[in-house]
Amino acid sequence: MTRALGTPTRIPRAPRPSSAGPILLIGLVFVLIYLASVPLLNMPQAQKLLSSGADLGCKSALECAFMLRNPTVPAPLQLLEGFKALSWPLFSPTGVPLNLLITAGETLAGIVLASVLGVLLAVGMVASRALERSILPLLVASQTVPIVALTPMLAVTLGQFRDLPGWVPKAIIAAYIAFFPICVGLLKGLRSPDPLSLDLMRTYHARNASIFFKLRFPASLPYLFTAYKVAVAAALIGAIVAEGATVSFQGIGKMLSENSRAADSVALWVIMLYSGLLGIGLVALVGVLERFITPWKREVN
Amino acid sequence: MALERRKGPESKIPHQTLFAFTFYAGITICFVELLRTINALATAPDNTSNAQVWVIWIFGLMAALGISQVARTTRNFLPALLTFILALLFTEALLRVYKVPPGLIPTPSRVWTALLSTQQVLLRDAFTTFVLEALFGFIGGTLAGLLFALSIVRSRFLERGLLPYASVLSSVPIVALAPILVKMIGLEWPSKAVIVGITVFFPVVVNVVRGLQSVGSLQLDLMRSYGSSGGQVFSLLRVPTALPFLFNALKIAVPLALIGAIVGETFGAAGSGLGFRIGISVGRFEYDVAWAAIVIASVISLLFFGLVSLLERRFLNWHSSMREGA
Repeated sequence: MTRALGTPTRIPRAPRPSSAGPILLIGLVFVLIYLASVPLLNMPQAQKLLSSGADLGCKSALECAFMLRNPTVPAPLQLLEGFKALSWPLFSPTGVPLNLLITAGETLAGIVLASVLGVLLAVGMVASRALERSILPLLVASQTVPIVALTPMLAVTLGQFRDLPGWVPKAIIAAYIAFFPICVGLLKGLRSPDPLSLDLMRTYHARNASIFFKLRFPASLPYLFTAYKVAVAAALIGAIVAEGATVSFQGIGKMLSENSRAADSVALWVIMLYSGLLGIGLVALVGVLERFITPWKREVN
Repeated sequence: MALERRKGPESKIPHQTLFAFTFYAGITICFVELLRTINALATAPDNTSNAQVWVIWIFGLMAALGISQVARTTRNFLPALLTFILALLFTEALLRVYKVPPGLIPTPSRVWTALLSTQQVLLRDAFTTFVLEALFGFIGGTLAGLLFALSIVRSRFLERGLLPYASVLSSVPIVALAPILVKMIGLEWPSKAVIVGITVFFPVVVNVVRGLQSVGSLQLDLMRSYGSSGGQVFSLLRVPTALPFLFNALKIAVPLALIGAIVGETFGAAGSGLGFRIGISVGRFEYDVAWAAIVIASVISLLFFGLVSLLERRFLNWHSSMREGA
């Protein structure tokens, strides 16, 4: 990997105090809030059911709050059981892990598509000001459009092509949402080397290609990774919404809309936690790649 | 590359006005031709000829070339506007000449008529989605985010304990949260406002904290040597430094707010709202109404974004990013 011009040599950082203590403590506070919210938020429902004379197998509203069939906030034991029911056997078609993998695959396919489109547009705009002036304002405007509103329409339009495999429309929608941050991040990054470095390259009589690959591209990498963190999270949302909007038989989005209709709240919570983990995992993956590919950025931060 | 750019392409063209005039005239001719073809197709939709296909492609491409020439010499939004008009005309013409069934992709003109005929309903939907859900959620989320950011900056403990959670949780897809919140709070608008609030909250927290902490140590030393109090350092130094970050966060949050409201509505709404309207129109195969709702959502979002940019200009006119040509 070529180092960017003017990157500092490795300077040892002053040791920072560990954050593990505060993080654990705040986490504990979150857990306590959750535990307190179980009886608080479920009691009204339990009380109503009890007074209507339903046989819940429990005496007081407080006791019932932990064992409702369809709780507002599921109790810890219910959550555990929900996890077990939805995660085992590991690759059953109605289980979460398999569907999670499928959604992750669609998201990654979308990211690949978005990268191709975003990189092409960004490189084109760096090469030609005219292209930038006629397209960039439209791109920016298109981002203020709530793109998710387009997904049902896109889903219907793309659904007409019956030969396409099921994951393609979802990947296209994910890409449509994710390409903008990539494009703009890369554009900003490619423009980021300062005029002095550019002039230096010119005094070396460097060709445009080598200016691009030795200066502009390495300088753009930090911007690109920040952009990818946003894009991955956006693409995941796109894939989930697309699954809900299209005819789909697999995926997190389909499970969400199905269970939302069936009003199975424990399952909804389990799916939510799983997809939260997927989102965090995908962004963390970009972070790992970033550390690996741009080691000089750690000193800059 | 860099050196050429500094000279600017303007200086290369001596008869600039004449040049520009020819291009504008050419673009106008192309637009008129496209319009005439569309008109011919509208009066006799079954009489499509190869000639019309050629006319559309050739004049469309010529207009695109003309716009790219105009874009070389103008710096304002005109090229973008022309590109937008061209895109509309081109889509309309192509959809008509290739006889794409309007049930599949409605032409822009059809969407416009649908927009006019369902005005009343759509305006009510827009009120629910924008004012009740997006705006309340946006304001609530921003205020909560500001409070949160201020308390994080106040205490080292909260910074080290809470900030990691905020940055990790910001990559959680809110879509998965939406059905639970709708179930918890109900089908009416408050559940969507909460969803919007949560979406807006995270960018505000992360950016404002970064902004409040980005004060340079030199500036802090200067304030200290003036003998300023902690409150003065905060209001005269930290807040102005954080404002650009806050406005950045708000600009990111505007489309997110609309998206949150619309996605929230697809998981259950009480009979009005743009997301609800889009879902129900797609179900009834009224795609022109669905597109009209999308157009309204986009226009609202653009205006909202414009409003935030206007506020930014008003409060940040001293900042270097607002300077001409920056």
